[in-house]
Amino acid sequence: MSCKLVRRHLGAFVDGELDPASQIEFERHLEACSGCQEHLSFERSFRQQTRDSIGGTQAPEHLWGRALHRLDEIDETKTARSALIEIRPMRWKQTGLVAAAAAALLIIGGVMRLPDGRDYQGAGMLQDVIDLHTKALPSDVEAEAPQEVVRYFQGKTPFPVRPAQFEEPTMRFIGARYIKVGTRPAAALYYNHGGRRVTLLVFQSPELVQNAQRTHVGGRELYYHDVGGNVVTIRQHGGVNYAFFGDLDRPVLFQLAANARVAD
Amino acid sequence: MRRKPKKIAAERRLFEAEARPHLDTLYSTALRLTRSPVDAEDLVQDTLVRAYRFYDRFEAGTNFKAWLLRIQMNAFVNRYRRSARERQVFDGAMAAPVGEGVMSRATMRGLTDPVGDAQRQIIAREINRAFDQLSEDARAMVLLADVEELSYKEIAEVMGCPIGTVMSRLHRARKQLQLSLHQHAVQLGIIDADDGDTEDPVSLEAFRSRKAVKS
Repeated sequence: MSCKLVRRHLGAFVDGELDPASQIEFERHLEACSGCQEHLSFERSFRQQTRDSIGGTQAPEHLWGRALHRLDEIDETKTARSALIEIRPMRWKQTGLVAAAAAALLIIGGVMRLPDGRDYQGAGMLQDVIDLHTKALPSDVEAEAPQEVVRYFQGKTPFPVRPAQFEEPTMRFIGARYIKVGTRPAAALYYNHGGRRVTLLVFQSPELVQNAQRTHVGGRELYYHDVGGNVVTIRQHGGVNYAFFGDLDRPVLFQLAANARVAD
Repeated sequence: MRRKPKKIAAERRLFEAEARPHLDTLYSTALRLTRSPVDAEDLVQDTLVRAYRFYDRFEAGTNFKAWLLRIQMNAFVNRYRRSARERQVFDGAMAAPVGEGVMSRATMRGLTDPVGDAQRQIIAREINRAFDQLSEDARAMVLLADVEELSYKEIAEVMGCPIGTVMSRLHRARKQLQLSLHQHAVQLGIIDADDGDTEDPVSLEAFRSRKAVKS
């Protein structure tokens, strides 16, 4: 290894950004070469002097307070917006009983029979959906192009699957996998909503919305079931069910369900 | 004011706790970029507003400081640089190739171990002066790498360029800084001019005037 090469990349060496093999070679060269050693100590001390000379200016006292004031303005618009959601014409049975952090399951575009104790199939299906989310099985196909997701599910499910699209920038598509709900083929689509997992299950189950509670959000008809502390929300589209489950507040999930673009 | 819903209040507390420790970094960097205390304050406020607005897009577990700096850099480029675009990015020293062996051993020693506090202060002042003469891009590279100690990967994200580009731009920026410092330091007689070095950028005039002062 030549001195020229070592000196050319000494900065990256000091930064610890060389690959491990080069790092070792550099160290070996530097041990033996006093000329390069001087360059090295210069590089290090110059780095230190730069840091001492141009860094470390303290912010003026008032700056944080001013910034907080502007954050207050954002909070106010946020508060106003969340109030808007609450005054929509929805019927919130037992809203008070649902803890803020309660997990909610949102099933979009399906038909589900009410889990009234007599209907094991409907209730079991709901439980399956919740379990599938809780287990957090790994994705078979990762985010990237929706077209790849479509291709992945071709031949696996009797209906075309494409990731639902969301207006909310906070809703990120993570990946998907093939799964079975009972005996029915389904697509599990995984999303992340501001750090919280949301699972969307897509499958055919016309019985899913029978006896479900009904509401309207943003002009969309939604169905939902309360299952324990969780809420299952359903939106129907083209005879296929899209099911979401996430650790989100009920209004947030309803909003997501209503705004989702589930078809082209 | 209406009472905030719990969730908004909780997110706000979290954001404040995470962002507050980086306020000095943001201001210091903003000041170095804009060179104006007033603009720097505006830039920091804009940065915090944007960061708060997009707080849920921050990926937990990644470097929050780097994330803030990335927002700040974007805000800077969008707002403050547009007005002064003519003010060179690629002209001047930026366009000129930078040699490798800019300094002799003696020079390096002189700058590596400044004798006494007085000399240390002079060198600090000179580094400041040299830094302010760098292009915006070079200033940003030095700030992110040498002052804030971000990794190349993080710098690449902040600057929106490939990692390989970070290496070359950073190398160039550091050499420019050293070159500028070196030239001026020699002129001031802080260090000896390099003799016999073919790549020595110091002018003969500077060398002679220094000799004259000394003798």
